[in-house]
Amino acid sequence: MAAGATATSLQTGAAFRRRPGFPAWLVLTPLLVWLILFVIVPTVVLIVLSLGEQKGLGTIHFTFTLKNYARAFDWTWLKVLLISVNYALLTTIICTIVGYPAAYFIGRSSERMRNILLTLVMIPFWTSFLIRTYAWITILSKEGLLNAFLVSAKIIPDPIGILYTPFASVLGLVYNYLPFMILPIYTSVERLDNALIEAAYDLGAGPLRAFSQVIIPLTQPGIVAGALLVFIPSIAMFAITNLMGGGDPPTIGDVIHKQFTSGRNQPFGAALGCLLLLIFFFSLWVTRRQRAE
Amino acid sequence: MIAFLAVLALANCGKAPQPPTASQPATPTPTPTQAAEPAGDADKNLNIFCWSEYIPQAIVDAFTKETGIKVSVETYASNEEMLAKLFAGGGTYDLIQPSEYVIEGLIKENMLTPIDRQAIPNMKNIAPEFTSMSFDPGNKYSIPYMAGTVGIVVNTELVQDDIKTYNDVFQEKFRKNIVVLDDAREIVSWGFESMGIPINEVSDENLEKVRPVLEKWLPLVKVFDSDSPKTALLNGDVALGVVWAGEGAILLNEDKKFKWVVPAEGAHLFVDSLAIPKSAKHVKNAELFINFILRPDISAKVSEAFPYLNPNVAARELLTPAQRNNPASFPTADQLANMQTFKDIGEQATKIDELVTSLKAQ
Repeated sequence: MAAGATATSLQTGAAFRRRPGFPAWLVLTPLLVWLILFVIVPTVVLIVLSLGEQKGLGTIHFTFTLKNYARAFDWTWLKVLLISVNYALLTTIICTIVGYPAAYFIGRSSERMRNILLTLVMIPFWTSFLIRTYAWITILSKEGLLNAFLVSAKIIPDPIGILYTPFASVLGLVYNYLPFMILPIYTSVERLDNALIEAAYDLGAGPLRAFSQVIIPLTQPGIVAGALLVFIPSIAMFAITNLMGGGDPPTIGDVIHKQFTSGRNQPFGAALGCLLLLIFFFSLWVTRRQRAE
Repeated sequence: MIAFLAVLALANCGKAPQPPTASQPATPTPTPTQAAEPAGDADKNLNIFCWSEYIPQAIVDAFTKETGIKVSVETYASNEEMLAKLFAGGGTYDLIQPSEYVIEGLIKENMLTPIDRQAIPNMKNIAPEFTSMSFDPGNKYSIPYMAGTVGIVVNTELVQDDIKTYNDVFQEKFRKNIVVLDDAREIVSWGFESMGIPINEVSDENLEKVRPVLEKWLPLVKVFDSDSPKTALLNGDVALGVVWAGEGAILLNEDKKFKWVVPAEGAHLFVDSLAIPKSAKHVKNAELFINFILRPDISAKVSEAFPYLNPNVAARELLTPAQRNNPASFPTADQLANMQTFKDIGEQATKIDELVTSLKAQ
């Protein structure tokens, strides 16, 4: 979300620099308090915890050891991380391919149509994400709606297993995060200057060239913001991969969750969490650099 | 991002929840039966921290109605989640509901208050085989609430074989047709049982011995689910499952095509008990609640909602024959003799988790 906001300020001109006065700080206070309480403090707790050791039933000794990190680089956990990054990348790519045309279409329609379409994009958020995921279970299961339809339409002879496969996991992830891709791209498309596209045509560009060399670069901030908003949460998501993917293969979010529960090793879970944090910072840094170019 | 924040929040959880409504006047409206009840604490509040889906709300309400004690219930999904909060926050829970191996650990770390047995006359309703168990000899710190096992559910429409053992379940022909509990310790103990290793001897050598067995088993599994393993079986997505007996009992009630099998190698018996943490502020109220829930009519209502193995003999008599004869709820005496309970294994839990994770991701 923050990424979307910076994208806006970049386009409207970031040349305006002034030190914020007292009223500005006053207005910012709630946000700062929120950030300190719910971002800074938990992160510090996480880092300190990751340097400790858990003994017995649950007491944590702060020994400032690095062994949790040493253990985190074992192939077992790196493999799980890789699986999660793969899922997240696949989700981001599919969301971009599906989301871009949709966002473009919405951004280019008439104002009335646009509002209707945007509402349609948001409607899934009106119900809880868990309920939507359970709905998918009733659709995809062997005795579910989709299989019943396919069998009765004689497209397939016997019900096939769709639920509890990696395919179902990615489907669930794409379904859940697609709006986070559509909305930022839509904002970019909406601001597209028609004159520039017309100019491209006037200068002899075909539709393909105008699209790839004018429209795509102009809407790139939206694509980058959307990709971040999809990629980062999908790495750590474990509810969808557990419910729709059957928890097989395990994902990093699930493994971290288990360290805090049955694995009885909170410090190790915290170390894995810190590694995830590094990945997030890395992806932010990459997109930053891209935007700066 | 939300999931990420949730992970962060986990690290920070266990902050003391809101204090038990101090603004409430100390004397609630008296109820007719109140005078007859043994006196609880002066402060008419009780904070219960229990498993989710384990104590029916109707029973909590009935307790409040009878005693005037205001109950607040907080729930957890695993023993370790409860421990994390207990260790972090402490003083707010009056009654917890740990499983046997956790009770053992809590007693070891001196975190439980001895229960005044004079206040629990209904203890007489508990079957002798569930009293004075090895984790708490003499029931000084814990009173059994519900017990249960883990066993095999077979969808007989899809599987005609006679399934008797864990090895019968984990066969190549049932590849991606199996649901199991997403619980590393459970999975390892099945492997141990199939090899005749006692389930509590979690030494490094034994874990190495069980590795090749699990290496063969885990890729055959389609779904790992501890919360509701019955879903995959009900929807026909898998034909076999190794699940909690409570889930099995519900499946058996749901459809005759499901069959319950207690593994021939033996199974894990869990006993969830009620205990009072050292930091509890309403010990007498907690004891009142324990005694209340051991009443036959109340305990039978729990069985109705959650068909586990009820250790309360007087309550069993109030159950319908169908409930009493559900083989998943009530194993035979022979089967029961072949079952083992978990002991606290300390830091070996970490090794078990690593073993199972690495085999799941192979």
